[in-house]
Amino acid sequence: MARSASSQSLDHLYRFARNKGAVLGLIIIVIVFAAAIAAPWLIDRDPLRIVYRPEIWPFTNPKYPLGTDSLGRDILALILFGARTTLMISFAAAFTATILGVIIGAFAAWFGGWLDEVLTRLTELFQTIPNILMIMTVVAVLGQTIGNITFAIGITMWPPIARLTRAEYLALRDREFVLACRSMGMGNIRIMVTEILPNAIPPVIVLGSVIIGSSILFESSISFLGLGDPNVASWGALIGDGRTLIRRSWYICAIPGLAIMFTVLAMNLIGDGLNDALNPRLRDR
Amino acid sequence: MTRLTRRFFLTTTAAVALAAASFTMPGLSLAQDTPKTGGTLVATWGGFEPQAVFVPGGGGSSPLISSTKILEPLIRMDDNAEFFPVLATDVTASDDFTSYDITIRDGVTWHDGEPFTVDDVIYTVNEYWKPMVAGAALSNFTGIEKIDEKTVRMTFSKPTPEFFFKNVLATSLVLPEHIYAGTEIATNPINNTPVGTGPFKFKEWVRGSHIEYDKNEDYWDEGKPYLDGLVIRYWRDAASRAAAMEAGELKLGIFNPIPAPDIDRLTETDDFVATSDGYLGAAWASTIEFNSRNPIVDDPAVRKAILTAIDRALIADVVYFGRAKPGVSFVSSVNPIFHDPDLPKYDFDPEKAAEMLDAAGYPMKDGKRFTVDLLAAGWFEENGKVGQFVKQNLEDIGIEVNLKVPDRASSIKGIYNDYDYDIALSNHASQVEQVPRQTNYVTTDGIVKGAAFRNANGYSNPEMDELVNAMAIEVDEEKRVEMAHKMQEIIAEDLPITILVEMESTTVHADEVKGLEGRADISADSLSDVWLDD
Repeated sequence: MARSASSQSLDHLYRFARNKGAVLGLIIIVIVFAAAIAAPWLIDRDPLRIVYRPEIWPFTNPKYPLGTDSLGRDILALILFGARTTLMISFAAAFTATILGVIIGAFAAWFGGWLDEVLTRLTELFQTIPNILMIMTVVAVLGQTIGNITFAIGITMWPPIARLTRAEYLALRDREFVLACRSMGMGNIRIMVTEILPNAIPPVIVLGSVIIGSSILFESSISFLGLGDPNVASWGALIGDGRTLIRRSWYICAIPGLAIMFTVLAMNLIGDGLNDALNPRLRDR
Repeated sequence: MTRLTRRFFLTTTAAVALAAASFTMPGLSLAQDTPKTGGTLVATWGGFEPQAVFVPGGGGSSPLISSTKILEPLIRMDDNAEFFPVLATDVTASDDFTSYDITIRDGVTWHDGEPFTVDDVIYTVNEYWKPMVAGAALSNFTGIEKIDEKTVRMTFSKPTPEFFFKNVLATSLVLPEHIYAGTEIATNPINNTPVGTGPFKFKEWVRGSHIEYDKNEDYWDEGKPYLDGLVIRYWRDAASRAAAMEAGELKLGIFNPIPAPDIDRLTETDDFVATSDGYLGAAWASTIEFNSRNPIVDDPAVRKAILTAIDRALIADVVYFGRAKPGVSFVSSVNPIFHDPDLPKYDFDPEKAAEMLDAAGYPMKDGKRFTVDLLAAGWFEENGKVGQFVKQNLEDIGIEVNLKVPDRASSIKGIYNDYDYDIALSNHASQVEQVPRQTNYVTTDGIVKGAAFRNANGYSNPEMDELVNAMAIEVDEEKRVEMAHKMQEIIAEDLPITILVEMESTTVHADEVKGLEGRADISADSLSDVWLDD
């Protein structure tokens, strides 16, 4: 508690950087972000445009370095713009899930009693429904737009966050500093937000980064199954469109597949690094 | 490629075709191509397992395929759109076409040993066809009576065209009265272990895997079936079917069993043959329809401009790998009787399309003319791709497109129940006969909210309604053809719905599978004439 905030974050950064995998993950994510941001400058047209003959192999035509897909769309354009869709949906969905999960978990733990009972049962109810089925159902009912897909993933992924937050809050609820705040007459919400939350959040952030990875996978699965938004480029949709050509033009599936694999891997590596950095129990490992 | 394959196929196996066709030409057969008996054929189709082995109310292609090996119709249609006898040996119309005498075949027994009689036919018509399968087609039907032990007479309140009536007979199965009488046909558990008169008997259904059939030793057609057994096995996806064919585990796949690019790969080996014969009775097309409830796309001038803006030849080439061609009329060009080839074609010309829209009163404003909701039905993967093409083509002439590709259930709901689209990309499989299945897409009667695969665009034209009503009772076949041409002219002008591309359905089979020729609808064939040349 004695150390200043800046030396504490330096300490975090140092311990994050000590994890080589995490640094690699961070580099990959930065590249993906750069691609997503630069996409409109690199490709000056709708990425879904059919530009050339279908099934041009990568590295054969310099105009389309990654080749064309089953419809004759530029795979490079689809990958770059697909990065936007993927990052947007997965970060927004993970953010939604984290906010929802933290609120539900915090309220359940702090107020206890019947509210805890109801919220815990609700969490368990959501956990019993297979995630992918839940997402597919919500998207099928609401319609295939980016907003709905983000919402569907968000409201499916919150239970683990809620459980973790609840456990953290339960552990911190009766600690001396909290009791001190109470005796000073602080309100419930103020204690929950300003006092407990900063202490409870590190493991939630770690879990949140893993949830971003899962969200990417869910977004891809939904698009692969043809339930994605057909008006935007998506890595999963590209794999789905290319799968009947797997014997002849396997690169159509392989290129977006690699993109998904590296991005999800990167998110998990970053999660590990964050765990090293933020978990005090691992400090002297 | 396919046409070439088909020609090759025809020349090399013409002799086999003749031998197989010998049921219409008794005495004509060639010694070297005498069918061999024996062997078990493993077959599949380009879809999934049926919901039941026999679905009395229809149920789509899958139960049609699994049930027609066991249950038979009275007559069938061949690939020249002519009828040949099955359970009926003769169907004769009265002079005024208000009644038909049907003579049934002698010496036919059901698989459980009971004899097939006229009572089975009477029961089937009254309890099955009229209420469940051919209701609209039999709307003027007044009754069926027994003339003698081999003959029944069906009577009608209005003249009933012969081709139209025989088409009903050829597409409706005959049920055993002694099994179904007094039960609910649709829910009878026997539908999963049907008893019929066909060349194959039901043996077992291993759910999630296959249906197995035994040879019917007492089949009425002496010497047939040639096969000792038949297995219809189901795969979840096209690529696995191609792999199963290469591994020799699968010998026959009907209705686009494998990915289009794999067809050439397999047929190049000479171990496999691909043919597009046998789909006359189920000519598949990808359709475009315009919702009359939207005032912009209700305008025929806009519809014509949109059709002119779509590069259908490229869609046929890229999405269907050349196994499709641009549509000309609402009646498919494979229809040997009713197709009208002399219609405006709306060839691809984006500049002309833009001019047409200018003239129709939709000039470019701030880079666009108007916005449409485009619904591409998600039951075929290709539709989503066609949707991408159409979206791009329309955006090129300044029409903003909001594309939706919902799953099967949501597509049916969106098009046929909620009418929630401006332009829909859908499909249909048409029979040769147009009334009532095809005409339901364009008549006012065809508008039934919630009923799938009929008039969803709200098109209502009294001239069309009158024409179709007249066609339903016109007994002169030539006049019916003229009427069908008139119908197509009106559709080509008003464009409520038309064929975007005609899909070519393909059967892929091992070279050793013979005797598949001569059928209008291979899905509904009993496979009694199929044999293995190994």
